[in-house]
Amino acid sequence: MTEPSLVTRDLTIRFGGHVAVNKVSCAFRPGELTVIVGPNGAGKTTYFNLISGQLAASGGQVLKDGVDLTRLGPSARAHHGIGRAFQLTNLFPRLSVLENIRLAVQVRSGNGWRMFRAAHRFRELTASAERYLEATRLAKVAHLPAAALPHGDQRKLEVALLMAMEPDIYMFDEPTAGMSLDHAPDVLELIAAIKNDARKTVLLVEHKMEVVRQLADRIVVLHNGEMLADGPPDQVMASQIVRDVYLGTATGETA
Amino acid sequence: MQARQTYGAIGIKAAVLLIGGLLLFAPFLFQDVRALEVAARICVFIVLVASYDLLIGYTGIVSFAHTMFFGFGAYGAAILLRLMGPGWDAVILGGLLGVVASLIVATAVGLLSLRVKAIFFAMITLATASVVLVLASQLSQFTGGEDGITYRVPDLFKPATKLLLDDNGKVVKWFGVSLNGKIAAYYFVFFTSLALFIAMLKVVAAPLGTVLKAIRENEARAEAIGYRVVAYRTFVFCLSAAVASLAGTVYAVWLKYTGPDTVLSFAIMIDILLMVVIGGMGTMWGAVIGTVLMVLAQYYLRDLMGAASEAVSSLPLLPDLLNPDRWLLWLGLIFILLVYFFPRGITGTLMQKGSRQ
Repeated sequence: MTEPSLVTRDLTIRFGGHVAVNKVSCAFRPGELTVIVGPNGAGKTTYFNLISGQLAASGGQVLKDGVDLTRLGPSARAHHGIGRAFQLTNLFPRLSVLENIRLAVQVRSGNGWRMFRAAHRFRELTASAERYLEATRLAKVAHLPAAALPHGDQRKLEVALLMAMEPDIYMFDEPTAGMSLDHAPDVLELIAAIKNDARKTVLLVEHKMEVVRQLADRIVVLHNGEMLADGPPDQVMASQIVRDVYLGTATGETA
Repeated sequence: MQARQTYGAIGIKAAVLLIGGLLLFAPFLFQDVRALEVAARICVFIVLVASYDLLIGYTGIVSFAHTMFFGFGAYGAAILLRLMGPGWDAVILGGLLGVVASLIVATAVGLLSLRVKAIFFAMITLATASVVLVLASQLSQFTGGEDGITYRVPDLFKPATKLLLDDNGKVVKWFGVSLNGKIAAYYFVFFTSLALFIAMLKVVAAPLGTVLKAIRENEARAEAIGYRVVAYRTFVFCLSAAVASLAGTVYAVWLKYTGPDTVLSFAIMIDILLMVVIGGMGTMWGAVIGTVLMVLAQYYLRDLMGAASEAVSSLPLLPDLLNPDRWLLWLGLIFILLVYFFPRGITGTLMQKGSRQ
């Protein structure tokens, strides 16, 4: 088995007395797509925030290829190859679609501080950004402001932005949330293509069971901030404990 | 596959070019002392307002310390011109000292407080600027206190200096204008301002400019894709401070006087804010349009109202309303109307009009 690329070790965060993520230890490997499931409030997005650095852990560690990232902020973690797309669309609304993508390309190429040459003359950056737009079928709207796109295209741009970061770890938080049926397959195809790259590790938070079945190599179940189950899809889906959580009869279930 | 510009954007750029042309030939087009005074003030304030727009319009940083940096540059040159006498060495050294002081203060304020929420940052800049204002009026042995400092500037800028002589040893006239030191001083102001403005245009069009806008649009996402937001914010705060400081040095050389009222007061800070808002935040063109309108209003609204008041003197009430003493009332009304009809500033609103798809 390949070495894990991303490891969380006893990862914990408390908000006052509430433990939102409680000692979650998990290893993720390249070439593997892990779907994280759990009822609302289980701590899935909080777990993501701890990995990508939007929240600072109260305890435990986040390791990328053995390097401890726990004390680093989001931008430093991005440079270590952790890429994150967000559940609520989180773009640069008044910048054009192309500029949105070029921002991700340019930070990776180390050109963010260039200040005396016009951005559009960095042709290699623009060309690279355009490739991501082609791949996500957004090339036609490249010059519209991101805010002017319909919701489905904004979700695609969210995915394109993550792809343009070329991370080692791709984290998708409900990438098809609120998408119409004809748009969702586009996004799922993109994720499937990433998953086929043996060097990439993919983490996906998703509710829709058909999506989970279609993509998952492995399922991790979170419940009340704790890891409840971890294993191949068939096994996890069949387990009694997962059924109990989804039916709301597990011990410790409140409300 | 560049997006096509709107007619509004083309119009604004044409207006800016026209303004640039008028400023370039100002000494020949407007041959009176006051008009040249206005033209020089417009040049300096375009730079000052544009550098402020780098903060508030491009990056979304609200600062009330911009006149402080303007003052550092002006006082740097003023104090050295008085101590060292009227030479270029004093101007250059004073300008450099102003920039250095600005960079030190901007870095300190930036690193200490750009992590906090915008409102706290604004308060910290306000406090810092207040301290400097008090210091400037208290340390009167250096700054001349409330009276400010008068000094002489390099000989080139003396009105008696003859730039070109004809065969009889008299100063050459072009279009009826003597080519004397006053003209040299104006072109010093004009070309320095132009260079600074073009440098800022380059910065906002470069990759760095996109990053600044990204921080304004969505700070958290900019951080998430790998930009160290605090570093970028501190840098742009320093950059804008340095440019404001240089503008201050240029203004000090032009005025031959530096005091709290000309370069440091909060009234100037308010002027800058109004110019940015009227012109439109987040475009360099907005700084030009806003500055020109505001400075013209400040200098000529009273004259205009005087004339209007005369013209309607036979009617009841109107002459009183249009009395030149009420110019601030009218300026306020104009401002309210502008904000109402151009919510994103004149350029911000107009540049969206007339799409050509």
